[in-house]
Amino acid sequence: MSIRVPRRPPVPSLRSPGELQGRFAELEELSQARSLAVAISDFETGHDFAYHGDRWFHAASTIKLAVLLGVYGAIHRGDLLPQSRVHVRNRFLSAFDGTPFRVRVDRDANGEVHREIGRTLRVSELAEHMIASSSNLATNLLLDLIGLDTLQRTLVELGLEGIDLRRGVEDEAAFDHGINNRVTARGLVGLLQLIGDERAFSPEYSRQMLDILHRQLFRSGIPAGVPREARVANKTGDISTVAHDAGLVYLPGRKPYAIAVLTEWEPSATGRATTIAAASYIGYAALVGDRVDGD
Amino acid sequence: MATDLAVTNFPLRLIDARQLEQRYRDVLIPGGILYDHSGHARVLPRYFYEVTSWAQARDTHLSRHFTVSEFIHTDVREAPPLRVFPRYIPCATLLLAFALEQLRDEVGTCVYIGANGGYCSPKHKGTGGASPHCWGTAANIYRIGDTYLDTPDLIRRYASLAHELIPTVWTRPLGDARMLTDDHLHIDLGYVLSLPREAPGETHNLKLAGDPL
Repeated sequence: MSIRVPRRPPVPSLRSPGELQGRFAELEELSQARSLAVAISDFETGHDFAYHGDRWFHAASTIKLAVLLGVYGAIHRGDLLPQSRVHVRNRFLSAFDGTPFRVRVDRDANGEVHREIGRTLRVSELAEHMIASSSNLATNLLLDLIGLDTLQRTLVELGLEGIDLRRGVEDEAAFDHGINNRVTARGLVGLLQLIGDERAFSPEYSRQMLDILHRQLFRSGIPAGVPREARVANKTGDISTVAHDAGLVYLPGRKPYAIAVLTEWEPSATGRATTIAAASYIGYAALVGDRVDGD
Repeated sequence: MATDLAVTNFPLRLIDARQLEQRYRDVLIPGGILYDHSGHARVLPRYFYEVTSWAQARDTHLSRHFTVSEFIHTDVREAPPLRVFPRYIPCATLLLAFALEQLRDEVGTCVYIGANGGYCSPKHKGTGGASPHCWGTAANIYRIGDTYLDTPDLIRRYASLAHELIPTVWTRPLGDARMLTDDHLHIDLGYVLSLPREAPGETHNLKLAGDPL
């Protein structure tokens, strides 16, 4: 494990939510984050936990989880196939006033999709770029293809609360006018529960989404707070003022758990990934028991 | 002795789309009417070339540098029957290829047509009204050589060149509003219907003259 949490009393169990909340409050204070929220749902015991679980945050790239779900909703309805081809075009209309905007390649974590402009990529390829390397261009292409209304309807039909999808990414006009995607920790955990429980449309589609999440390239948040033998299917989200991670953690010999760690920061603040990893560790220890060997 | 100079080795089969299965007729609408943005009625093509495979599309040249594949590269927005082979291109696509060849020769490098930027059926989700893309006479060029046409200056420069080389060509005006372009050069020859010599003649029957099929 790469994260060292200062030696302190063992992490309280999930069965002592008051004490566990105290531990997260302590982390929130120590980290100097403006805000920290955590939600956990354990598939093994059925226990849930939340610390500021219903507080809304700017979603950053965690909203891509909702788009992924919407993509598979469209596949489930027969509107798309995973191998359907999509024109890669860097031109989108703002959710604010319909003015066109583009995704700047220098602000996108993935330049690969930009290199395909003018050509086509498969839905499955775009979905993987959107999640694994957090391609903003792939996200907007999928959102544009399926339609914001349809995606929102899918979330409603699945009974998901705590996820407010209102626009594509890099939509500056919408941002300037306060139109933003928002999530809560509990909302993201609810979404991950659907996938982890294989209830997202069908077991097959749930597994396909899980496979994509397992290909995540950004591993400095939740994955850094759990033992190496854990497999984590996660999605991060970072902008200047927020840093998040949400994922399903698979440990040997037990059912997985879903965890979302949402944080808000001053733009100049440091220690974001460390804080998320520490929250991840506390969540892990609350479920599995504190590890002292790494201290 | 007369020599048959009319024999062609063009590999694509000429098709009267009115003879195709209903599912193709529904999306090609051969000889049907679309209205342009000024409300003018435009008659859609009836004769098409049939493309049986991607290999054939890739290997069949419409002009020296342009192959069929470049004009049928569409995405999931195209009508379902036309997302798989056989595919169909209006006969006038050949004329577009010849026009683009002039541009290709002048710039001395590859001219790239974008996906959904060649022939699109009237049922393509990006088709609004009588777009010349439904006649196979329009191309959206997104790249020339290594240059992406995504700035007003570049689009203007190549539009100007196209006008110089191809009399009567139409290029979409620049701008970010609907019906304007800001990330490609749209070139079209208008609503051209091409009727190859081997096409069967019309059977004109006054009683059927108003019947679309």
